Amino acid sequence: MTDTLTDAELVERLAHLPVDRDTAEHYRGYLRRELVLNRCADCGRWHQPMRPMCPSCWSWNVVPTPVSGRGTVHLFIALHQGPPADGVDYTKEPYPVVTVELEEQEALRFTSTIVDCALDGIHIGMPVELAWIERSGAPFPVFRPTAEGSGAANREGR
Amino acid sequence: MVRNPVKDQVAIVGIGCTGFSRHDTRTPLALGLEAATKAIRDAGLTAKDIDGVVALGEPGAPGPQQFASALGVDTVTHWTRPAPVVMFSLVDAVNAIYAGSADTILVVSSMIRLPWNSRSAANDPFRRRIPSGVPGVPESVAMATGYTAWASRYLHEYGVTRDAWARIAVNGRTNALRNPLAAIDKPLTLDDYYEARMIRDPLCMLDMDLPADGADAFVLTTAERAKALPHPPVLVHATATGMVGENTEDQLVSLQHHGQHVVVEQLRAKGDFWIDEVDVFLPYDGFTIITTGWIENTGYCAPGTAGEFLRQHWVEDENRVMIDGRVPINPHGGGLSEGATRGTGHIREAVTQLRGEAGERQVEGARTALVTPGGFFFNSQGALLRVAD
Repeated sequence: MTDTLTDAELVERLAHLPVDRDTAEHYRGYLRRELVLNRCADCGRWHQPMRPMCPSCWSWNVVPTPVSGRGTVHLFIALHQGPPADGVDYTKEPYPVVTVELEEQEALRFTSTIVDCALDGIHIGMPVELAWIERSGAPFPVFRPTAEGSGAANREGR
Repeated sequence: MVRNPVKDQVAIVGIGCTGFSRHDTRTPLALGLEAATKAIRDAGLTAKDIDGVVALGEPGAPGPQQFASALGVDTVTHWTRPAPVVMFSLVDAVNAIYAGSADTILVVSSMIRLPWNSRSAANDPFRRRIPSGVPGVPESVAMATGYTAWASRYLHEYGVTRDAWARIAVNGRTNALRNPLAAIDKPLTLDDYYEARMIRDPLCMLDMDLPADGADAFVLTTAERAKALPHPPVLVHATATGMVGENTEDQLVSLQHHGQHVVVEQLRAKGDFWIDEVDVFLPYDGFTIITTGWIENTGYCAPGTAGEFLRQHWVEDENRVMIDGRVPINPHGGGLSEGATRGTGHIREAVTQLRGEAGERQVEGARTALVTPGGFFFNSQGALLRVAD
């Protein structure tokens, strides 16, 4: 159903996100609850962010392809203030933002927030998996700790 | 094979600055014109000597055509509007003079507090209309947020504390107290740093450069022509603007290989001197994590050891760093305490020190400076400057 959305309908439905011609399939994936990144059909390399040509082999044969969404936290910050967004209230508590290194390829990363985890339970190196929340009436990809990654791990280096 | 045919061929012969403040309500044009006229006069020249205009492409800042018109310049044979952070403009001016596109170039940069980084600017009816430069979603480490993200990685990988960043902030503030151009004149202690408001954990208010109003301008010409001008010419010995291909903030491969490493490699190959012979060190401090990166990557100490290095070279009764008791870091206070300048302040201070005009903060006998503007994603830059023998 969502795949039949016209470009105009997609942009309207995801007006809160920076959808353009090169990133449309990534965002269209949100509506199916799939995290879709570009993968080169010729050399097999994934790349981020969404670009129309493979930076490794210059092939234009790049295919928007779902990733597993499993990975480990590589960068972690807590926003005490930031841009407004549906469901984000910086006054309640700092809002976590994590860059996750995905299991598909070394240094292939995706940045979002993390849910189902106390702020002081988040740490670099923790295993996470994909989850979905609602943002402005549409699904939005986030991460949550995997079973072995949750719990009382220390937040390192503070 | 690195080439550097332009070595010592172009000189900075004029500097002009408005000083920086947090309550100036002038426009970027007004600020830029004050700095530009000061710089041209400082060089002993007039508007009719200027045949090139390079204006930093800061959002909202006037372009070179507006400056040329407002300054009454006669004819311009080279003009550009490079992206912000100062070296894109200086490198362009140096190369243009060496190539013969123009003989005497004005480089000018205005900075103002903006509605999204300053509450007082948001209350200014004119400035309120300037569009936002902040990314649209919280779940992003693009632009400024990227430095905080990699700061988290730095703490994790090296198992260190925020102490290095605290010392960078305090060092800048202490130095700014001796700089009449600085926006802030209130001392800072290490305890103050740890009590400061968190903005994006692990970086706080005092880890970020200070939004301020002000402008800097420089006049550059050939080293040959510089000999006849009033001040000792400051020669541009080597420059670099570098990045790695994978420079998107969240895709940067590691802290061990990014734009700073590219710049350092270039400067070392192009220049005849390096840190052992450098008298003044001016690393960028848009965020403190950038400064510790420059200290480590230029080779003052090993990766991850900036904190230890700063403690070793800390002068307790002065509340600042003096490397080997000799070389200060950002003696003007840097962007953290003089005011955010996109690196123009660092270049101006290098020139001031090399001319011997830095007053009570003068580094005795300063002959060489290493300036490293920019961060580590896509604006890492550097310059080796020296006075003529």
